Amino acid sequence: MLKHCVAAVSIAALAFGLAATSAFAADKPVYGVLMKTLSNPFWGAMEKGVDEGARKAGVDIFLQAVESDQAAEPQLDACNTMLQKKPAAMITAAINSTILLPCLKQANEMKIPVVDLDNNLDPAITKKAGVDVAFHIGSDNEAAGAKAADYLVSVLGQDAKGPMLVIEGLSGNITGEKRAHGFAEELKKKAPGLNIVASLPGDWDSLKAANITNDTLQRTPDLVAIFCANDDMALGSVEAARSAGKDKLIVIGVDGNVNAVKSIKAGRLNASVAQLPYLVGMQAVENVKKVLAGEKVPEMTYVPTLVLTKQVIEENKDPLLQYVK
Amino acid sequence: MSCLELNDVRKTFGAIEALRGVTFSVEAGSAVALVGDNGAGKSTLMKTITGVYQPDSGDIRFGGVSIMGKDPGAIREAGIEMIYQDLAIARMRDVASNIFLGRELTRSVFGVRLIDAKRMRSEAEAMIARLGARIPSVAQMTGQLSGGQQQSVAIARALTFNPKLVIMDEPTAALAVREVEHVLDLIRTLKSHGIAVILISHRLTDVFSVCDRIVVLRQGAVIADDATRDTSMNAVVAHIVGATDTPQKGANP
Amino acid sequence: MTSTSAAAPASWRERFAGGAAVRLESLIVLAVLCAAMAALSGAFLSVSNILNILLSTSVFGVLAIGMTFVISSAGIDLSVGSILALSGVAGAMLTSNLDLPWVVGILGCLVMGALTGALNGFLITKGAIPPFIVTLGMLGVARGVALVLSDGVSIYGLPQQMVWLGQGRPLGVPTPVIILLLTALVAHVLLAHTRFGIYAQVIGDNEGAARAMGVKVERMKVLLYTLSGLLSGLAGLLFAARINSGEPTAGLSYELTAITATILGGTNLFGGRGSVVGTLIGALIMGVLQNGLNLLAVRPFYQQIAIGAVLILAVWLDRINSKEGWRR
Repeated sequence: MLKHCVAAVSIAALAFGLAATSAFAADKPVYGVLMKTLSNPFWGAMEKGVDEGARKAGVDIFLQAVESDQAAEPQLDACNTMLQKKPAAMITAAINSTILLPCLKQANEMKIPVVDLDNNLDPAITKKAGVDVAFHIGSDNEAAGAKAADYLVSVLGQDAKGPMLVIEGLSGNITGEKRAHGFAEELKKKAPGLNIVASLPGDWDSLKAANITNDTLQRTPDLVAIFCANDDMALGSVEAARSAGKDKLIVIGVDGNVNAVKSIKAGRLNASVAQLPYLVGMQAVENVKKVLAGEKVPEMTYVPTLVLTKQVIEENKDPLLQYVK
Repeated sequence: MSCLELNDVRKTFGAIEALRGVTFSVEAGSAVALVGDNGAGKSTLMKTITGVYQPDSGDIRFGGVSIMGKDPGAIREAGIEMIYQDLAIARMRDVASNIFLGRELTRSVFGVRLIDAKRMRSEAEAMIARLGARIPSVAQMTGQLSGGQQQSVAIARALTFNPKLVIMDEPTAALAVREVEHVLDLIRTLKSHGIAVILISHRLTDVFSVCDRIVVLRQGAVIADDATRDTSMNAVVAHIVGATDTPQKGANP
Repeated sequence: MTSTSAAAPASWRERFAGGAAVRLESLIVLAVLCAAMAALSGAFLSVSNILNILLSTSVFGVLAIGMTFVISSAGIDLSVGSILALSGVAGAMLTSNLDLPWVVGILGCLVMGALTGALNGFLITKGAIPPFIVTLGMLGVARGVALVLSDGVSIYGLPQQMVWLGQGRPLGVPTPVIILLLTALVAHVLLAHTRFGIYAQVIGDNEGAARAMGVKVERMKVLLYTLSGLLSGLAGLLFAARINSGEPTAGLSYELTAITATILGGTNLFGGRGSVVGTLIGALIMGVLQNGLNLLAVRPFYQQIAIGAVLILAVWLDRINSKEGWRR
C-alpha cells in the first residue's frame, strides 16, 4: 500500500515538475513552433532566434520538438496537439515533406497560417495535397554545399588536383544529401581536378566520421580535403586526421555551430559554412507578424550563409557574424 | 539432541498461508519421510529450511543453533544439503562446475582468486567414482547428460562437502526400478554414517523401506508424525487425503 | 551411451578455443571477411590498417564487453549508449566548464557510468522490474540528463591528457586500442576464471539453482549492471577523447551494435554462457566489415544491406553447425 502511494506521488511530482518548465503568460498572441529536435545545436540556435524574434514582435511562443530528427510520427502527434491550443500561427520544421500534411491541412481549415521553417516542405507536394503555406523560410542546403566547394577552390586553386572525401549525413536524409550534392556539383564545375574518391554515410555521428576518415586515409594517404555534411562529423573527422598526423588535410563542415567556431579558432577545423539558424528563426517570427498584419512576404526566403574561417572570425567584420550562435 | 528441530514455523505469501505452524524434528543418523498431497506445503517447508524463503515466525535449529535468517549459502556451510526435484543444475556448465557450484575451489594468482578448474575436475571425478555413478566425463556439459546422470551429479554435489543433513525432494520419481534401489541404498548408507535424511516422496513403498519416521503434511500443517513401525500404509494414505480428522502431536488446528 | 557422441565435438571445440567457449564459426566468419577484403582492397592487409580497425572497434568493443556479462546472466542493458553520452558529457563538463584537473575528468566519466549502472541494478533487484524495462527507461533518462546538463550542445575542448587517451599513439599503437585489449584481458579472466564470472553465467543458466546453491543473486545483479555502466563510462571517455568533445548525442543506438557484437561472438542471447574473447571477435567482424565497406567506398544504402546480411549469415552459419543442443 505504502509502495503504491510512493509510486503515485512520484508520478504526480514528476508531472508537476515538468509542467513548471513550460509555463508561459497568456495575455499575448501565441505562435506555435514545431521543431525537429532540440538535441542538436542547429535547432538550439534556431530556438534562440525564435525567442529573440518573439521578444521583438511582442508575442509568445509555444514550442514543441520531438526526441530525434527521425521521430516522424511523434511529430505529427505533436502537431495535432499543438492545434488544440489554437495558436495564431503554425511555424513548422517538418521531419519529412509529407508527415505533417494532414495536420497542416487542418490548420488551413482553422484559418491558422502555416509556415515552412527550414525548407522541409516540397511546394509541389503541398500544392498537390491542397495545403496552403504562407511562406517558406530557411537555408539553401545545396548552396551551402556549393559554398564549401567555393571555399576549397579559393584555398587550393582551380587547377588543384588530388583525392577528396565526402562524409554524408544519415542515409536518405534530404538535408545531408542536398549539401553533399551541392558540394559535388560545384566542385565538378570549379575544380574538376579534385576527385571525390568516396562519399560515405557518417550518419551525423562524429565517431563514425572519425572512423571513416581513418579508413579512407588507409586507402588514400594523399587525401587533400574532406567535406562533411555537418559540423559534428567535421569535428570528429578533423580530430581523427590530427591524431593520424595529417595536419595539412583540409576539413570543412556545415552549420557554423559553437564547437566548430571553437575548433576553427584553435586552428583545427579549416572552415564551416554557417547556416545562421538563429537568423532563420528570428526572421520567421518577424515575417509571421507581417503576414498576420496583412502585409506581403516573399513565398520563398533563403537566409544567407557565411563561410566561417579563422580569418573571418578574427577580423570580426562581417555583419552576419552576430547571428552565429 | 536432535539434528534438526522445527518449532511452530509459519510462512504466508500474501493471503495464502503456506505453512501454519509446523513442528517436527529429525535425529542424526535417521531418515524422516515428509509426505503429503500436492500443495500441502512440502516444497515451501524445504525451501524455508534451506534459506531460499525466510519464515514469518517460529524457530529452526540445526545442531542446537538457530539458523533463522541465514541465506542459502550459509545454511549449506552449516551442513544442510538439498537435492532439488528439478536438480538445480546449470545445464551449460560441466559436471565438475555443478558439483562445486557455490563452493568453487580457487587458487591464488598474483593475489587474485581464480577458479581451479583442474583440481575441481579431478576431485569431481573421485566423487563420481565413489558414488559408483556412470558419467562419461566430468568435463561434459551437464545438460547433455541423461536424467539419471544429472541426478547423480546433484547427489554428488550434496555429498561432497560432508553434510550433516541431506534433504531429497522426490529423488526417485523419474528413475527406473534399478536406479530407485540405488538411491534407497544410498539413503541407508548415509544413515549408517550418522547423516540425517529428509525424504520427500510420493512413493510410499520407498518411504516405508528406508525411513524411521513419517511426517504427514496437509494444508501447511503437520497432521501426523509417527515412527514407521507404529503406522501403516493405509493410515498414512488416510492422513494424506484427510480421511481422518484427528490432529496429532505437533499439529495445529 | 547416447551422450558420449555429442560430447566429442564440444570438447575439441573447447580445446581449440582454450576453454574460452569461443565458437569456431565466429573465427571462420572473421577469417573469410578478412580474406575477402584483402582480395578486394590492397590497403586492407597492413599493420596500420589493422590498428585502424582496432581503433574503430575500441568504443563499441568496450561497450560489448560489458554487455557480454549482462547477457550471460540472461539480462540486457539497453542504456549503454546513453550512459556513454552522459559519462562523456560529465567528464567534459568537469574539465572544460569547471576547470578541474584531467584526472577528475577521467574519474568523472567512470564514476558517472558506474553509478548509473548501479542504479539500473538496484531498480532491477529491489524494484523487481525486468532489466529490459529498467534499462529502456534509463536509455531515455540518461540521454535526457546528458542533454539537460549540456543544454543540447556538445562540450568541445578537453585537457591534453584526456585527449591523449583517445588520440595518443604510444609506440605507434593508438591508446584506445591498448585500453580495449587490456579491458578485454581483465574481463576475460573475470568472466571465465573467477567466481564472479561463473556465477554471472550460472544465473543466466538457472537462476533458481544459483540461488539455492548459495549464490547471492541480487548482489551479483547489482554488480553486473554496475560493471556494464562502468564500461559504458569508459567507452564514453574514449569517445569524448577521440573527438575532443563531450557530446550529449554520442552513442545513439550503440546498444544494438554492442548486442550484435556480443551475439556474433557466441554469447547465448538467453544467458548461461558468454565469452569475452568471442565478443572481441564479434566486434572485430563488425569493425572489419565497416572498414572494408569504407575502403571499397561502397555507397551508403548498400552498406546497410551488407551489414544486415552479414549478421544474419553469421548467426545462420552457427545454427547449421551447432547440432548439439542443451536439454532444457
